[in-house]
Amino acid sequence: MSEGKTFKIAVGPVHPALKEPVQLNCEIEGEQVKHVDIELSQVHRSIEWIGTRRNPVQVVFLAEKICGICNICHTLCFCEAVESIAGIEVPARAHYIRTIAAELERIHSHILWAGVAAHELGFDSVMHYTWKLREKVLDTTEYLTGNRIGKAIVTIGGTKRDIEEKQFGKIREACNYYRQNFSRLRDIFLKDPIIKARARDIGILRRDDALSLCAVGPTARASGVKKDVRQDEAYAAYPDLDVKAITPKELLGEIRGDVYDRIAVRLLEVLQSVELIEKCLKQMPEGKIAYESKLAKVLSDVKQLKGEAIGRHEAPRGEVFHYLKMVGEETPYSWKVRAPTYNNILSWIPMLKGAQIADIPIVAASIDPCMSCTNRAAIADGKELGNEKLHRLSVEKTRSLKKGPGSERGNCN
Amino acid sequence: MNELIIYQLASVPAIAALGIILGLLFKGIDRVLAARMQARIGPPIRQPFRDLRKLMIKENIVPKNAVRFVFNGMPLLAVAASITILLYVPIAGFLPLMQGYGDLILLLYLLLIPSLALVLGGFASASPYASIGAQREMVSMISYELPLAVAVASIAWLFSRAMPGIASFSLAAIAANPVWELVGPVGFIGLLALFLILLAVMPGEIGVIPFDTAEAETEIASGMLVEYSGRNLALFYLADAVKTVGFASILIAIFLPYGISGTLSLQGANAVAADALFFLLKLFIVVFIGRVLIRVAVPRLRITQVVKAYWGYATIAALCGLSLIALDAILLAGGC
Amino acid sequence: MTAMLRELLKQLFKRPFTNKFPSKRIPESVNGFLEKAEKGKAKINPAIPVPEGFRGRIEYYREKCIGCQLCTKVCPADAIVFLPKEKKVEYHLFRCSFCGQCVEICPVKALEFTKEFLLADYKKD
Repeated sequence: MSEGKTFKIAVGPVHPALKEPVQLNCEIEGEQVKHVDIELSQVHRSIEWIGTRRNPVQVVFLAEKICGICNICHTLCFCEAVESIAGIEVPARAHYIRTIAAELERIHSHILWAGVAAHELGFDSVMHYTWKLREKVLDTTEYLTGNRIGKAIVTIGGTKRDIEEKQFGKIREACNYYRQNFSRLRDIFLKDPIIKARARDIGILRRDDALSLCAVGPTARASGVKKDVRQDEAYAAYPDLDVKAITPKELLGEIRGDVYDRIAVRLLEVLQSVELIEKCLKQMPEGKIAYESKLAKVLSDVKQLKGEAIGRHEAPRGEVFHYLKMVGEETPYSWKVRAPTYNNILSWIPMLKGAQIADIPIVAASIDPCMSCTNRAAIADGKELGNEKLHRLSVEKTRSLKKGPGSERGNCN
Repeated sequence: MNELIIYQLASVPAIAALGIILGLLFKGIDRVLAARMQARIGPPIRQPFRDLRKLMIKENIVPKNAVRFVFNGMPLLAVAASITILLYVPIAGFLPLMQGYGDLILLLYLLLIPSLALVLGGFASASPYASIGAQREMVSMISYELPLAVAVASIAWLFSRAMPGIASFSLAAIAANPVWELVGPVGFIGLLALFLILLAVMPGEIGVIPFDTAEAETEIASGMLVEYSGRNLALFYLADAVKTVGFASILIAIFLPYGISGTLSLQGANAVAADALFFLLKLFIVVFIGRVLIRVAVPRLRITQVVKAYWGYATIAALCGLSLIALDAILLAGGC
Repeated sequence: MTAMLRELLKQLFKRPFTNKFPSKRIPESVNGFLEKAEKGKAKINPAIPVPEGFRGRIEYYREKCIGCQLCTKVCPADAIVFLPKEKKVEYHLFRCSFCGQCVEICPVKALEFTKEFLLADYKKD
């Protein structure tokens, strides 16, 4: 093969390895990746912009549409922010219901990811197998919330639906199902010699890299950073549940920060979620499920708020962060969403350096990227803009947002 | 003599049609079985026929920078070579049509041609993905040829030793004298190793997971085939289907040449029908193990791992098989 | 490898896990297909029952509506449009995201969930 001669291939924006549009410009020498450049912003839906033109009760469900898979986390963050501006106290039972929904979502997301990862390795049988296992959690979600994916259960000040005593049986059944299948999944993913050969020591993210790139979620934890919003700044029912950040050490005995470790962390987190749900069911207090059951009253309560707040949540992919500013109008003045992929995406660069072309799909998938949640801007004339000008524009925009109404408002680009 | 040639010429289209139908049928069976193993319903068995028809009526796009005649010619070459394989292989109990005109060595070369056609077509299509795919295909071709050649040479050596006087590379001769009867217990193990190696070469030869690095859908977007569409893609699809049957038939001719009519003491048309059905059963078993089972049960390897698997493990195993057969020959000779 | 192989061979002899789509082929129109099936002309694979409280297509009872416009205020997708002349609303199924806020807020229960989920179609009718 040609020695020393590099050529470029573009992985994406439309490529079978990437389920969502993002472009990886790779410089290749032979089969080896020499350099990677990531081109983001291939899909921008201006959800924040739409959000600043609707009242908070509507935005709750707009937030749910930010991400199809982790829809609880965005809704939860937004509700937390609104609640802290309005000073609404959420009943304890609602906290537990929210936690159960969030953990069901984590199980669903991690198992879905496991299937995608297997597909990237060309192991479609495992993809079909894991997705078959995922059906159970989807059925449970449908049973509890009325739909398989879009849960629509979290609302401002509580939850929309109650989880009653008679429904516990089905949740416990699902928990047992995953408990029983955990060892099978572990055998398939961690004991298969070829998966091991494809995932071990591939896409290594060292601990200091993970820290300096601010990686979050399973990506950071697989590199040995014990970071978990549920543990560090517990919210909802998590303070009662004693969550511990999971690292691959518990299962494998060592931390290498490679793809294999990330698989192990996610598998362990499925088990952790099962345990958390079981604890929730055991400890669930009696009481109201929302501070106010009449939606019309909630609507009038959140209409003319003033103040700013944040909401944080440990989504399956890592920490989600929402910033909300209200200035006494019906609609939010500013709403900023930061999805976990935004932090994790730059870790592709150290992971992919020196890897082979064959490793690009699995390494890219290993951070569980979610592009449309991440993209917050669309650049029409990016080539002429340049880094400096872009930075200046961003600073100007932030300043104008800080000043509040009166200054130029709008085009949220 | 002239009549024979005419008869042979007339049989070529029949064999080609048989090869195509069998190839597509087994592709359909492959897809259904794979789907069932993955707990899916899967397509109907006739789906490959439909796919082929659909591809045939689709527009045939040639990229602007492609070398046109190579790009268009290679699919034809691939199909032609795959069908030619069938002319040299005993199928369904019938002797090969071109008996006496070529032997196992020729078959080894014929097996290479569809892959080479893919490589050239890939390079001609002027896409970086196709180039990577073509490079990978060349590397994996070199890798699986070695154990394959060792295995075939071992068989030929066994024949030349056990039955001096017959053309040792002639597939018809090999098929007429089952190899298992020529060896003692040690050689039996050696032959078993060779059989398993040929089964392991099969997925590489027909380009399925775990050795489909050259096409690797999730990595390089089906590599060499990335620019192909319409009729050209249909021809490659066909070549793949026919080659599967061809390679499986070679395996059967070498290792499983037994007919069933003798055991059931059938005669005439019944015997032919029984043998043909039995051949289909053998074909099914070989395709099931060499294609379906392997491709659903393992993930794709990296190209470096493909080389390691074939040059390392498979070649060592093939050499072990060869030495076991040699040892067996020495033991037998000593015993006599 | 062995763990997966065992699982695969086991699944080979089991019935597929997939739930069958109600019709064998995609029908030209869903309503037409359902009508046909009722008359016994087309075979319909029985649907897997949906649980209690399923959020399916929203039914709008026009005569009950009092035109208070509360639903238009909570709909995140602008799927409900107020018709000022008739003092009624118009519900657009193809924009609906099935969040259920309109059902919750409606003071006269003019909007209601049904269990219908076979909603994808080629035409907006």
